[in-house]
Amino acid sequence: MPHARRLLASIVLLLAAAPACAQLRDGEWVSYRDAYRVMVVFEKYGGPKNFLQSQLQVLPRERAGFDGLQLTLAGKSTELHLALDALGRTRLPLQKAAYDENAALVLNRKGVPFTVRPQVSIVARPDGVYDSAELRAACVQALEFARHVDAGARGRQCVGARFVFLDKGEGGVRLRREGGGEQGLPMQDAGDGMQAVLVRFGAQPGQVVTVNAPLAILPVFE
Amino acid sequence: MNKLLSLALGAACSVGCGGAWAQTPAANPMPDGSRDMYVGLGAVSAPRYEGAGSRKVSALPVLQVQWSSGFFVSGMSAGLHLGVSPTFEFGPLLAVLPGRDESGSGTGLDGIGPNAVAGLTSGPLDKSAMLMRGGTLTGIAEIGARLQGGVFANYYLTPQWRLTGNALYGSGREHDGARLQLGVQRLAASLGERHHVALSAGLTLANRNDNQTYFGVTALEASRSRFAQYAAGGGLRDAHLGLRWNWTWTPSWLLTTNVQAERLLGSAKDSPLVERPTNVTVSTAIGYRF
Repeated sequence: MPHARRLLASIVLLLAAAPACAQLRDGEWVSYRDAYRVMVVFEKYGGPKNFLQSQLQVLPRERAGFDGLQLTLAGKSTELHLALDALGRTRLPLQKAAYDENAALVLNRKGVPFTVRPQVSIVARPDGVYDSAELRAACVQALEFARHVDAGARGRQCVGARFVFLDKGEGGVRLRREGGGEQGLPMQDAGDGMQAVLVRFGAQPGQVVTVNAPLAILPVFE
Repeated sequence: MNKLLSLALGAACSVGCGGAWAQTPAANPMPDGSRDMYVGLGAVSAPRYEGAGSRKVSALPVLQVQWSSGFFVSGMSAGLHLGVSPTFEFGPLLAVLPGRDESGSGTGLDGIGPNAVAGLTSGPLDKSAMLMRGGTLTGIAEIGARLQGGVFANYYLTPQWRLTGNALYGSGREHDGARLQLGVQRLAASLGERHHVALSAGLTLANRNDNQTYFGVTALEASRSRFAQYAAGGGLRDAHLGLRWNWTWTPSWLLTTNVQAERLLGSAKDSPLVERPTNVTVSTAIGYRF
């Protein structure tokens, strides 16, 4: 019985201490350590990745625009504001100090519960011209990385790349064949005001030309 | 989340499950020189011993530490992650198997080992007195805590599903018992969720030396206890199911709750020491992440 009483007292003390430490609102933070642990895998990956980038993507639980939204890395001695792009992505800095402080990732807007996930995409070229062989190589790099972290991806194949644009006005992807001739590719609604163009890899070499820089170029596996 | 939440505090099982289902935490990439540590305290309701019909409630200390070097301590086990692939973890593993005395308690938790009783109880009168004390192992020799050594390996079919296995040697009265545990786990996988539920199922195989120690009854023990002599053999020892729920309150505080159901099988199930072949262990603890 004395054991039970002591145990009960300890649990009550712990329970009383917990809310005092809970200055963060439920659902509105993500552990930096957990995010670090997922994101560092790409940094440490030893395979080819020169065509790729890895970003942390914020996923609000409810519909919310990313206009003016920032992710803040907040620890005892760390405060770093990370701008989000229109897809809610940012490059997560990998900092030992923030890791050791067990820092949190929070948004600069209250009342937006969210989760995060890593997203690997193909780096956009400044000239907007993508050789189809290079695009395929980038997709293969992304697939090899996916297989590195997920054995379930081993049965998949690269079939194309999806160019995502903010709205229709910005879009426009043309396929320039090696023998001459250009063909515009159809836009698809990608939701949340986004438009996307799917470029499927074909047997014929050529180039993919974008009018404006895409928000993201995502590899497509099937 | 991802494997992360295999941040499942393996420690929560360490006392309540008698160390039998110690599970290795997922590899935790971190900055050089860093560590990830959880400590906590809670309570566990478990059978007095494996197969007991009666239960006890004990304090449950929680400890899980991982270092950037790959070393980890998880409850009553410690090991080293040697693999570099995110889909395959392996390495050496040490685990402490709590002892068992006549009251059935794990070593040190209750702190009272009625060692003298074994030598004093004999004869029909004493036996009938012992029969009145069901749920204890009066007359059965005490078994000390054992340090087991071996290896573990986990293979991730996907980031959410992993096959787990470990082989440990060193249990049993003569330190020559061996156990092989095989299982499958469904891990919680999304980053930022407050509630993470992980499910597991597995089997344990044990050699004869291990089973005889924990489920056998020697002629001497039979003569001074209420149990008939029994020679346990090796083979399938148990099947178990587990559910772990981690509720993270802040980056530092969480509540970890674990429910484990175990069904003894084969020679272990048929032991006269076994009053109830299916048992459930429930534990809950508050943890702090440093």
